[in-house]
Amino acid sequence: MSHAPHSPLPVGHYAYDEVDRTFLKQRVAQFRDQVERRISGALTEEEFKPLRLMNGLYLQLHAYMLRVAIPYGILNSGQMRALAQIAQRYDRDYGHFTTRQNIQFNWIRLEDTPDILALLADADMHAIQTSGNCIRNVTADQFAGAAADEVLDPRVHAEILRQWSTLHPEFTFLPRKFKIAISGSPQDRVAARFHDIGLMARNGENGRPVFEVYVGGGLGRTPIVGVKLRDDLPEEDLIAYLEAILRVYNEFGRRDNIYKARIKILVQALGVDEFRDRVNAEFVAMDRARYRLDERIVAAIRARFGVPDFDPAGQAAEKLAQQRKADRAFDFWVRTNTHAHKQPGYVSVTISCKPAGGIPGDVTSSQMNLLADLADQLSFGELRITHLQNVVLGHVRQDKLYGLWQTLEQNGLGTANVGFITDIVACPGLDYCALANARSIPIAQKLSERFASPDLQREIGPLRLNISGCINACGHHHAGHIGILGVDKRGEEAFQITLGGAADQDTVSIGQIIGAAMSEDETVDAIARIIDTYLARRTAGEQFIETCRRLGTAPFKDAAYATA
Amino acid sequence: MDRRNNRRDAEGSSVITANRLLDGRIVWLAADGEWSPFIRHAHVYSNADIEDALKQQIASAQDNELVGVYGVQVTVTASGPVPITSRERIRAGGPSVHPDFTPEWQEHPAVSPA
Repeated sequence: MSHAPHSPLPVGHYAYDEVDRTFLKQRVAQFRDQVERRISGALTEEEFKPLRLMNGLYLQLHAYMLRVAIPYGILNSGQMRALAQIAQRYDRDYGHFTTRQNIQFNWIRLEDTPDILALLADADMHAIQTSGNCIRNVTADQFAGAAADEVLDPRVHAEILRQWSTLHPEFTFLPRKFKIAISGSPQDRVAARFHDIGLMARNGENGRPVFEVYVGGGLGRTPIVGVKLRDDLPEEDLIAYLEAILRVYNEFGRRDNIYKARIKILVQALGVDEFRDRVNAEFVAMDRARYRLDERIVAAIRARFGVPDFDPAGQAAEKLAQQRKADRAFDFWVRTNTHAHKQPGYVSVTISCKPAGGIPGDVTSSQMNLLADLADQLSFGELRITHLQNVVLGHVRQDKLYGLWQTLEQNGLGTANVGFITDIVACPGLDYCALANARSIPIAQKLSERFASPDLQREIGPLRLNISGCINACGHHHAGHIGILGVDKRGEEAFQITLGGAADQDTVSIGQIIGAAMSEDETVDAIARIIDTYLARRTAGEQFIETCRRLGTAPFKDAAYATA
Repeated sequence: MDRRNNRRDAEGSSVITANRLLDGRIVWLAADGEWSPFIRHAHVYSNADIEDALKQQIASAQDNELVGVYGVQVTVTASGPVPITSRERIRAGGPSVHPDFTPEWQEHPAVSPA
């Protein structure tokens, strides 16, 4: 079989070759057989469950849910169209972007699943590593390979970690799921310290990358900020060192209690020094030559990534400046929804999937097709899914922005709210999820409508609001400046508010619960009073999280529980 | 199936529910022994009597192409049984954020497989 990828290479992600494609076809055939045996009764549900989870298939509240992998959040336009086709043909015409840069479909039929996986395989996609106690989809900075502040494109190393972890025989049945994030910018946009392993890459003294390695972070029922194990892990030791961490976890992580099985619990139980000692002992005992990540391997993987063929900047910046001056609404959108690019004349665009009153992260098949078309026209066919449930076009010429914005506006994707209070992260909650205690989406919609005014959002300024429907924290509520946690009070939904969470590298913190749970409407009103308190008490230029840290939670708690 | 969803008071009434194996859709056990997508068709058991019926249905789940058989406590109203928990009310009625995705929607799929 050929190892040569088809040309042209996809911009921003690894090009599959015949080996990769043959593997996916075999995997689909294997799962087709497993589904047939389940339907015939040859496999019990207990036997089948781990097999379907290895292919991203859950049984949720109303139907099966299929979670499709989007490695490091990068898609090409053809892959986005394949997702649209699945939404239209096999689901109810929409999909939901997740906080792990994946997409999930909520109305899947078991008997259709092998055909869906075959459709995905035809587009070089799959649902592997989206479920089960394995190393999950590695996430990366949504502005990777584009951001002006980036020192290193982390996607090549994310791909190396994907290839290392997929089907790794030692790590197929870990004590629990295992999540890795990687950033190549000093600005942490991946919440590295809330991951089982968080990697911050930079250039080392010899010109080769080195990695800061954080371990034992996570959200869920025991939120913990990860601790630094290494400051300067050389690139050549990346695989060996991560393998050592995983081996220690695999051997000593608890398997007797699902709630104490994540690596964060092991790190806390051993203490960071003891944990580091055990990792180092494993590391030095390994056959380092075998695990050495040779420069040539990295170069070979990098060579499978397409790179954008940028046009000269020309008068792009001047044209954009004129258009911003002429159209105030466009100017606001540029301010909130674009990010500085390393290439003169270009920007990265964040397309908000959070319209006023909308469902965070939900996109229809027609919107998916539109996004694919826009990627082809404006961003070298490349799309990125963010862990904040939006979509990024990584490389857009500045003089193309106005037309892009107008098209997005016409199709419900032009909301200028990225980083504002209505850029809400929310899990599917009790409307779909079998584990949830409360619905996340309706309260997100109410808050989105309550704060929909663009002027009000700009007055409030940067604010991260995250909502989880249960303590598993898929909506990352602990990391929200304002977090909402859905709880069950004797069979009825209720909501707790947390304040002061943040996932930024230097100021990472876990939100603290401010008091007793309230009803949905009471919670919306309480958050409005919290915002009023912030606006009344902030100092000049002070962002919500800064006011929160300066004042503590007390004044906000008083406001939240004040009765009219 | 989460154990908490199968909890019942000593007194009261319950119905039996499951997901269909082939498509995962929610169904309710009717008095005639058939499984209906509509909770209004569900047979109501007293909590004192439901355990034997549940055991029987769990044992025959594969034959009936079902998964996750369990009991749901309800309040009996004029329009039929209504689950006492918000979770089960959402299961019975469909996701609250898509009013068109009621159990009736399943009978008339908007998009046919190609």
